[in-house]
Formats: sequence, structure tokens, C-alpha cells
Amino acid sequence: MMHSIAQKEFVSTLRDKRFLVLSVLVLALLLAATLVGRASYQTQQRERQLAQHTVNDQFRRQPARHPHRVAHYGSFAFRPKSGLSLLDAGIDSYTGTAVYLEAHQQNSVNFSQAQQSGSLIRFGEMTVAFVLQMLVPLLIIFLCFGAFTQERETGTLQLLLSQGISLWQVAWGKILGYSRAVALVVAPALALAALLLFSGEEFASGPDLVARLGLFVLSYAVYFFLFIVGAVVVSARQASSRAALVTLLGLWILGCIILPKATANLGATLYPTVTKAQMDAAVHEEAQHGINGHDPQDQRSAALKAGLLKKYGVDSEEKLPVSVGGVLMTESEAYSAQVYQEHFAALNDTYRRQNRISDWVGLLNPYQAIRPLSMGLAGSDFAHYVHFQQAAEAYRYRLVQRLNALQTSMGHGDKERKLEASTWRQLPVFAYQSPTLGWAWPHLLLPVVALLLWAVGLSWLGLRLISTTPLV
Amino acid sequence: MMNTFWLLFSAEWRHFRAAKGLVLLCALLLLTGLYGIYYGTTEIERQRQHLAALPELTRRNVEELKVKFPGPADAGEIGYYHSTYAVHHPNAWASLSLGQRDVNPYYVKLRLLGLQNQLYATDNTNPMKVLSGNFDLAFVLVYLFPLLIIALSFNLLSSEREEGILTLLLAQPVRSSVVVGAKLAFRLAVVLGLAWLLSVVGMLWAQVPLDSRVVTWLGLSTLYCLFWFGVALVVTALQRTSAFNAVTLLGVWLLLVVLVPSLLNLGVAAAHPVPQGIELTIKQREEIHAGWDRPKAQTMNRFFALYPQWRDTATIRERFVWRWYYAFQHLGDVAVAPQAAAYATGLQQRYDLVEQLNLLSPAINAQGSLNALAGTDLPTHLQFQRSATAYHDALRAFYYPYLFRQAEFSHHDYALEPTHTFTSQPELSTALRGLGKLLLSVALVYGLGFGLLRARPISPR
Repeated sequence: MMHSIAQKEFVSTLRDKRFLVLSVLVLALLLAATLVGRASYQTQQRERQLAQHTVNDQFRRQPARHPHRVAHYGSFAFRPKSGLSLLDAGIDSYTGTAVYLEAHQQNSVNFSQAQQSGSLIRFGEMTVAFVLQMLVPLLIIFLCFGAFTQERETGTLQLLLSQGISLWQVAWGKILGYSRAVALVVAPALALAALLLFSGEEFASGPDLVARLGLFVLSYAVYFFLFIVGAVVVSARQASSRAALVTLLGLWILGCIILPKATANLGATLYPTVTKAQMDAAVHEEAQHGINGHDPQDQRSAALKAGLLKKYGVDSEEKLPVSVGGVLMTESEAYSAQVYQEHFAALNDTYRRQNRISDWVGLLNPYQAIRPLSMGLAGSDFAHYVHFQQAAEAYRYRLVQRLNALQTSMGHGDKERKLEASTWRQLPVFAYQSPTLGWAWPHLLLPVVALLLWAVGLSWLGLRLISTTPLV
Repeated sequence: MMNTFWLLFSAEWRHFRAAKGLVLLCALLLLTGLYGIYYGTTEIERQRQHLAALPELTRRNVEELKVKFPGPADAGEIGYYHSTYAVHHPNAWASLSLGQRDVNPYYVKLRLLGLQNQLYATDNTNPMKVLSGNFDLAFVLVYLFPLLIIALSFNLLSSEREEGILTLLLAQPVRSSVVVGAKLAFRLAVVLGLAWLLSVVGMLWAQVPLDSRVVTWLGLSTLYCLFWFGVALVVTALQRTSAFNAVTLLGVWLLLVVLVPSLLNLGVAAAHPVPQGIELTIKQREEIHAGWDRPKAQTMNRFFALYPQWRDTATIRERFVWRWYYAFQHLGDVAVAPQAAAYATGLQQRYDLVEQLNLLSPAINAQGSLNALAGTDLPTHLQFQRSATAYHDALRAFYYPYLFRQAEFSHHDYALEPTHTFTSQPELSTALRGLGKLLLSVALVYGLGFGLLRARPISPR
């Protein structure tokens, strides 16, 4: 009986012109978003690869230079797009694409898409995730708001129940039927996305991508299931179709538009961000004055020089086998890098605290659970971004210290000399390895738990509520 | 006739008071609007505080330099270690419509070095936060007010028809247009009352000056609300069920507020591919660092071609001298000037295209006009960048005599250094154009609505 109800809902949904129009529209948007996502992935990835290639090439082809000159010349790290970002661009449009890596300082990641788009981008970006997270739930609402109210308004509910079937079975039958209809809309787009991902040469497909895509599909399945159950429950508890529709739309607006904005802004108010100017000044202050603050740079370098003379048992700088400048550079780089790291860690910590509020609200609002989960799986969330930042900094530090070591080994009088051009070809270039799902997993735990709690809670509590719903 | 109108109007008022849900909804929107004002003003206040802290950072920097160089110094050293700021102050209206002020940096830290790689440095921002966007009064007006209007008027006549009251009502000697008119007028009064109340509270809170912008803001928000009532009128004129109306109205909202903007964004980006700013930085780095390896005379001759006034200065024989260093820094900027111009024009062209196409969506138009009024959108940011560029020119002009005439830089010279300030101005013409376009959209929907009503008079069933 439950299956025949499911079949009936499925068939009547397909016959409903309104639903047909809406689902064709949503499907078209999904397919378009997939193709647009792929196109923009390709352009951006190509641009970044080309740029990374260009700067690496430029680095290798440098003329004979003093190593510290090369350290200032520096390099760039471009953030590669993750394959799944064609489905969910996450924060990619709001983070920069490139960071300049140079001696003595850590720079911010500049040139974001958002700065190039004017205020249009603030209305939302047309990505697969956008359609899945915001529009499909609307489709579900339009599909399910009359699940019970219409039957009640036309008196067919009592007829059904007189056949000896329970309300509980009616509800599950409807949920199953609607689920099939929604799957019919969403599945083709996701299948196309999977096809693009696994057939395109530009994507490094592997077990990690398969796992991420699988979980991606699974989480959205749970998310849609939630909305279907929720809409059926609301429909059962409301007196009229109109009331059910208005309630559901109200919840959608609250969950998908108002709450995410409000929590993000609340986070920024509660944990204020330090400006770049303030941070730079603080870093400069600490790097200048050292840990105890009473040991200015000149005195420190004098002590260092004395230590070197003693170590090598010589009485003048000229006799040292190493360059004092190089040793000094190495020391100061180690120190300033540590100061920068502390400040960047504190800044990222502030951001994390700001974002955590939104993550916890995911327990109240499924949209705020699926959003971080989806981005996290697509590799376009804040944690993945920080991973890139840290990889770029680790490379910068190693590069600068290698160059400082080269300078040190040049011995006294290094400033007047240069190292030959072939030296730069032996230095490693920046290559970014994006993290695996295993690494990302801890960041996704909270949204996963929130989503599962919702699914289980709604199924259990909602259907209990349905059982006690008034029949007329 | 007038009496019937007021009778119906007051009947609506009684209905409205009785319908707790609607009162609750209005109260909720009022609170949301107040939060929007609170958020916008505190955000701008925070930006003001950040800007106010910058002179102190500069002062501390100068103090440090005075210790580092106790006597007269080489101006080259000062130019290298000394940093000042180009600042973009918000005007009072920015609190009501934050626009792009959270994405685009509102100050630029400048040293005497090449400008281009300093100009684009972004401030610390949480990408998750900017992704979610600002919750300011403009957001409430542009995004949420249409939803309130939809909630109030999706069942304008359909509910009465569904409850069977419409037959009774139309059996009376009343014209159906008066019935629709009175119902719309009542809802319009509620919504506009709310919009004006919030706007006035916002203006008082943000302490805006009393000038033509007050009228423009009110005009924009009124016309925008009127537009959405027009859409409701068109849907009412179709005379379908409440559920159909709700779905249709929400579909229109989704189309105009969500879909058209995001599709337009894609289209505009495709129509005007902006040369990636990164190319510019890479090229500039090449140019500047090659400066170290080039013969000094070559660099200086290229520089003197641009600044002939320094041609007669001493020939450089030293291994390193600051004026040569700053000359090749500047030549790095000159080398990428075409790219920098192309980048800025590309952005401006995107903006202009949106300006032309925003007739497609009154939401984009309203948001754009409010941002223009508040001076928080792209053209203002580009103006600020030009102003920062001019400031960098002024700094160079200040330091060049010290460098080329080899004059000593003494402690009292710090105070002579030029400073920068820029306050965003409203783009009234853009806002007024937006007002005109909104008027056009309003005329269009009301024309359509009344036309439909005339073609098919309201039937009781």
C-alpha cells in the first residue's frame, strides 16, 4: 500500500504542469551551472597554471645574482582550483588567487574575483551548489506543501484511511514518491558533473575525488530528504494549503537568507578582526625589538658576530669561512617568520571563531550544515584555503633560507659577488598538493553530525507528530 | 465612491489587526530592519576607528625613524622605511548601504617604492563573512521588503474568493477596481510606513546631512516597493488560487532578485574579460628586479626622458644610490601602466554594462542606486585608487628634490611630507538615473496590471 501511494505521488507529480515547468527550470539551471562551472574552472585553472609556469620559468632563468637579491625577487604561489570546485566554488571567489613570496615578509593573498565583479556577485553566484542548496529546497516546498492539506481539503484522506492504512504509512508513501521525483530532477545534473569530472583530463581523478564526490551526493540526498520530510510534516500540521505554503516559505527565507547573513555578521561583531595595518605594525615592532624588547637589532648582530669569531677561532671577519651577513639573514628570517606565523595563526583563529558560530547554528538550520559540508568536500572552504596559505609560507621559508645558506657559504665579501645563473635552476619550485579527504574530515564533523541529527530527529519526531495529526 | 474606499480600507485594518501572523511578520521585519541599521552603522563606525588609528601608526613609524636616524638622514632611507596611508573615508550614507566597502580595501599603505604592487594589497577579511554578505538597511529593503509585500498581497482577492466573501462583496454596489484599490492601498500604507520609518530611523542613526539625498533615498525605496505591489496587482489580475499566486510571486522574486543578478554576473564577466591583475604584478616584478642588472646610465636616461627637470643632476658612479633605486622602481610602474589602465577600465566597463542592463531587474537597479547614493560601489573605489595614485605622485614629487639635489632629510622635514584624505562622494546622477528606470518599471507593471483587469473583470468565482 505504501508503495502504491509512493507510485501515485510520483506519477501525479509528473503530470502536474506546475511541477513539470519548475523542475525543467531547475534541471536546466543545474546543467547550465555545471557547464558554466566547468568552463570557469578551466579558464581559471589554465590562467593559474600558466601564471605559475611563467613565474617558475622566470625564476629559473634569472641571471647571475647575489642570493639575497633572488630572495627579494621571490616567487609567487598560485592557488590551484580543486576539481570539485566546479560544483561548489565556496569561498574561492572571495579569497585571492595569488600570494607573493619574498624575503622578510609574508604577504596577503590578493586579487579576488569579488573585487572584479562589482556588487552583482553579492546577489549570489550561479553554481551547482547554489541551485542545490537554495533552489531545490524551494522546488521541494512547492511540491510537498499540499501533501496532506490537499487530501484533507478534498476529503480523500479519510477515504484512504478507511482502507485500513495508517497515517504513518501514508506519510512514508508520500515521502518516497516525492523523493523519486526530486531524484529525477537532480540525478541527471550530478551524473553529468561526475562524467565531466572523471572524463576530463584536467582533473586529477583518483580514489580521493571519487570519495569526495560520493559523499557530496550523499550529503545532498540527506539534505533533500530533510526538506521533503519537513515539508510533509508541516503540511500535516497546518490547517490549510495556504498556511502550509506560507510557513514553509517563511522557514526557507529564514534558513537560507536571513540566518546565514545574521550569524556571519554576529561572528564578525563578537570577534573583531585586526586590520592589516595594525598587524603589520605589531609584527614590525616585535621583529625589531626581539623577544625581551631590550635588545635592539644592532646589539644582537654584534653579539652574533662575536659568537662566530669565537666559534671559528679567528680574530677578524675577513678570516671567517662564512658570511656574517648570511648568518644574520638566516637568524632574522627565522625570527621574523615565527613572528608572522604567530600573527597569522591568531588571525586565522579569529576567523575560525567567527565561522564557528555559523557552524553551530547548523544544528538549528540545515542550510548552515550543508553549506560548510559541501564546500569542505569540494575543497573550497576556509580550512582548505588555510592549508594553501601554510603550504605557500612553508615553501617561502624554505626557499629564503636556502638562499640565505647560499649567501652564508659565500664567505666574507659576499656582497660584491654574484652566484652563477645555473644556481637558481637547482632550487625547487612551488608545487601545491591539495589535502586529502582524510585531512579534511575533522573540519566536516560538526556539519555531518548536524545533518544526521536533523535527518534522524525529523524522521522520528515528525512522523510521530503526523500520527497524531487531526484528520479533518 | 470615496466613502466605500475608506470603508473597505478600514475593514482591511481590522482584518490585519485580527490576523496575528501578519502583525507578527511586520514586527519581525521592523526588528530585522533595525538590526540592519545597527549593523551598518557599527560596521562603518569600526571602519572609521580603523582609519582614525592610522595616523598614530604613521607617527610611531616617524618616531622610530627619528631614533634610527638621530641626525640628518639620506631621504632615500626615509622613503624606504617610512610608510604613510591613503585613506578612503566613508560618508554618512555608507552606514545604510555598505556596498563593496567590505571587499575593497579602504586604505592603502604606501612607501616610496613602486606603486602598483602596493595598490592592490587587500586588508584582512574573513572570506566566509564576505561570502555571506552584509546585513544592512539596503539589504532589508531590496531583498526582504518584496517578500513582505508578497506575503501581504498574494491572497489579495483569492482568499475572499475561496471563502466565498467575494460574491457577497461584488453583489454590493461597488466597483471591483475600488475593492482591489482599497486593499492594495491599505497594504501599501503598511509597507511604505515601515520602509519610511526604517529609512528615517536609519538616517537619524547614521546622522546623514539633510540634502537632496534624503529625498532620493525615500524616492528609490518608495518606487521599489510600488514596483512589487505592481507585480502583486498583475498576479491578482490573473484571478487564480492563493497557492498559484504565492508560487508565481515567489517565482518572480526569485527571478528578479536571485537568478537575473547571478546570470547577469556570468554574462558580464564573459562579455568583458578583465585582464587578471596578477599579470600586472608579475610583469612589474620582472621590470623592477631587472633594474638591478641593467646599466645605471640606461635606467637614468629612461627616467630623465620622463622627468627632464632632473637631467642635470650628478652622474651616478656609486655601486648603490637611492635615486637610481627609486628611478627603476618608478620605471616598473611605467612599464605596467597600460595593464593597470586596462584593469581599471575593464572593471569600469563591467560596471557600465550592468548599469545598462539593470532595467532587467529592479532589484539590481535599486541596490546599485542605493550604493551609488552612499558612494560605496565600484566607481567610488576606482576614484579612490586614482586619488591614491595622485598621492603617490605627490610623495615622489616631495622626495625627488632631496634625492636628486642630494639634500639632507632632517627631523622637521617629516612634518612637510604630504598627507592624503579621500571621502566618498555620492554619485547622484547614477542614483537619479536609477530612479528614472524604477519609475519606468513601475509604469510598466501597473500598465500591465490595469490592462489585465480591464480585459477580464473580476469574477466572484
